[in-house]
Amino acid sequence: MDVVIPEIPVSYDSYRLELQAFIAEHKPNLEWKPGVGLRTPELASDVDALKMWVRKLHEAGYIVVRHMPTTLDQFQKRILSEELAASGMMSSLGNALVAGAIATFGTPEQQAEFLPKIATGEHIWTQLFSEPDAGSDLTSLKMKGVLDGDCYVVTGQKVWSTWAQFADYGYLLVRTETAPGPAGISAFILDMKLPGVTIRPLREITGTTDFNEVFLDEVRIPVANMIGGPGQGWKVANASLGTERSGVGVAGVDADLHRLVALAKTSKRNGKPAIADSAVRQDLARFAARAIIQNALTYTVTTRADTNTSTASDAPVTKIWFSELNLELAEYATSLQGASGSLDAGDPLVVDGGHWQDSFLYARAWTIAGGSNEIMRNLIAERGLGLPREPRGA
Amino acid sequence: MFFAFTEDQELLRSTTQRFLEQRSSLATLRKHIETPATVERAVWAEGAALGWTAMLIPEAHDGGCVTPQPIVDLAGLAEELGRCLYPGPVLETNVVASVLVSAGTPEQQARFLPGIARGETMATWCLSGNGSTEPGAVEVTATPAEGSITLTGRACFVREAQLCDVALVHAHGPAGPVLALLTLPSDGVSIRVLHSLDVTRRMHEVTFENVLIDAKDLLAADDVQAINAVTKRALQLATVIQAAECVGAAEHLMEVTVAYLKDRVQFGRTIGSFQAIKHRLADLTVTLESIRAAARYAAMTLADSQVDCDRAVAAAGSYVREAFAHLCGESLQLHGGIGFTWEHDVHLFLRRSKTDIGLYGEPYVHREYLATLLESAIDRASTPSSDAGISTQDPSRTGNSSTDSSPTVSSTTSNATSECSNADDSTADISNAGVR
Repeated sequence: MDVVIPEIPVSYDSYRLELQAFIAEHKPNLEWKPGVGLRTPELASDVDALKMWVRKLHEAGYIVVRHMPTTLDQFQKRILSEELAASGMMSSLGNALVAGAIATFGTPEQQAEFLPKIATGEHIWTQLFSEPDAGSDLTSLKMKGVLDGDCYVVTGQKVWSTWAQFADYGYLLVRTETAPGPAGISAFILDMKLPGVTIRPLREITGTTDFNEVFLDEVRIPVANMIGGPGQGWKVANASLGTERSGVGVAGVDADLHRLVALAKTSKRNGKPAIADSAVRQDLARFAARAIIQNALTYTVTTRADTNTSTASDAPVTKIWFSELNLELAEYATSLQGASGSLDAGDPLVVDGGHWQDSFLYARAWTIAGGSNEIMRNLIAERGLGLPREPRGA
Repeated sequence: MFFAFTEDQELLRSTTQRFLEQRSSLATLRKHIETPATVERAVWAEGAALGWTAMLIPEAHDGGCVTPQPIVDLAGLAEELGRCLYPGPVLETNVVASVLVSAGTPEQQARFLPGIARGETMATWCLSGNGSTEPGAVEVTATPAEGSITLTGRACFVREAQLCDVALVHAHGPAGPVLALLTLPSDGVSIRVLHSLDVTRRMHEVTFENVLIDAKDLLAADDVQAINAVTKRALQLATVIQAAECVGAAEHLMEVTVAYLKDRVQFGRTIGSFQAIKHRLADLTVTLESIRAAARYAAMTLADSQVDCDRAVAAAGSYVREAFAHLCGESLQLHGGIGFTWEHDVHLFLRRSKTDIGLYGEPYVHREYLATLLESAIDRASTPSSDAGISTQDPSRTGNSSTDSSPTVSSTTSNATSECSNADDSTADISNAGVR
């Protein structure tokens, strides 16, 4: 039993130095100050600068998009991942989960046309799955597509689409077949510039605009842009949703735990540093234990994936564990600030630049997106434990 | 990375599981509940032949393990022992063996270890008095005499003192803690069985009246630092074994509970089809996975003496037993009226879980220690000159990674081979935690 990741040999130092120099030279200067989590820039000029940055990364051989062939070995990938994280600059724009769908289910033409441009950042993608009346119950989606010659004519509304306001293409689920539920759904590549596509940014509780509503009004999508066959959309989507969930929490909460302990040293309780208060110490330790378990759960499910022994509960369990821990950490840290917790980013007195307030609000994205935690619990019970399926309403 | 039991360890587990099903099932255990002794020496001897007491003992003393990580081998075994609520003092015997290996004289090792390994000698642990089991709560006093010491006072919650052949006794001496080996029975030692919440195991109060201990039966005599280090390590080992037992017990209870909820029909439906029930079972699945991950990570880091072992063991000690107790309570509740009957096994698990929380370092003690570690990690991180092994991840390397390349698994993993932080760092010593 081990969780050893081989140490990076010193012979890779030059690779790291070159990369650091590259990042220092090409890293864009953005107006935008990103918050926690997966966020979207506010200005088109920042998006253009990011596209240029991703293109340069790619041209220099620094491939960061999954499902793209790369000559990087395991150490180079790790160095790349570490240095990009340290740079604080995103290196993959939009929702790239479609890459997996195209790589697995796409035609050779689709793969040749779209995968390289996802990697270079030339194409930004958005995911068009959820609808106002089809969130958790995604297979009840109503957006309708009717075959007309070599096109499907598609009408309906999507919501909760990240990056749609800047996206070139959408990964779209549409009801094209008469079969009810999942069997009637097909997956498409949608050119966001097509006539009839309207994008309306949504402002969320964070005050920022990270999601959008997308309206389609008799949009003509070529048959050639279907991913997989008619009625296979749910299968295609499930493959990428699994990726989305299992990816959640991979980064862990160690950084936030460290930040929380630092906060407890500067916050006061009974006239003393909060970290000297035994109740606070017990609370901090509870979070520390959960953070350690977060990592140990990652080792568990990673090993199961490596040995083909994954269970249906793995992704939902890790998603619930991470998202609830992340939320409670932010709630606690905000409370620990006392009255100062009532400040928000922008105020000169705000603690830690408003990190915790943003985290407290954004944490709900993790507990809801990618299948709400209530849906995760259904998945564990039904697919993991084999309990009877929820009865469907009429 | 391979965070699972190896094939050899799985073989050991399945062999043990089959053996326990035949020789120490819950049904067998029930027959013993109303009798004075719940442990059969014959089963113990056969278990020893399977390696229950040999893992931590060198081959020279008839011991042996399955992999180069004997504590992980033992943790795998302990999961199986927990699954059937095995009543014998496997934890205590292994703790005593481990203390003998690290602090015993060659003579002491030769005298006790082969018998322990072969299952002929059962060992128990006199750690604390009545109340908290924090080290320091010892109620036995050691008084020096000519070439020996005498012990006076009492130890409580001593597992199977009536059955065991030797006890490791913690006492207060004039110059600090004392560790003594006591052969049972002995003059001046009286043993009273405690009425225990856990009806499956026997615990005793052991009273010492001027019990004479020869100097050759002292461990690490007059070396306070060594005794503290050995005590810390013994408690960590106890925590790891307890946690592993909880995992096996929790797995069994989950299986039983899910099966019942698939079977029980009310309102014309199996009650496992109600979402109120399903979501609670989903949460218990999260609990089970989390205690398994915590317990195995603690076992692995302790086996390898990794820098992360202090944190990992404290996390397990803080979390696992309480989470397991919660799972037992939920299981009982989900069984409804049938779960409230003496006949149903669920209360045996509930009783076990509540008992374990109090033994060998309560969760709050582990949390206080964990807080101390957190504090010192952040102090060291803010002191650039220090390069002491910081067991937490370098915070600059986490954060909001937006890269979509291969997942970056926490780099806590890369500190694989350094030693555990030393017990002589008194601020980071579990035996001082909780009494600040």
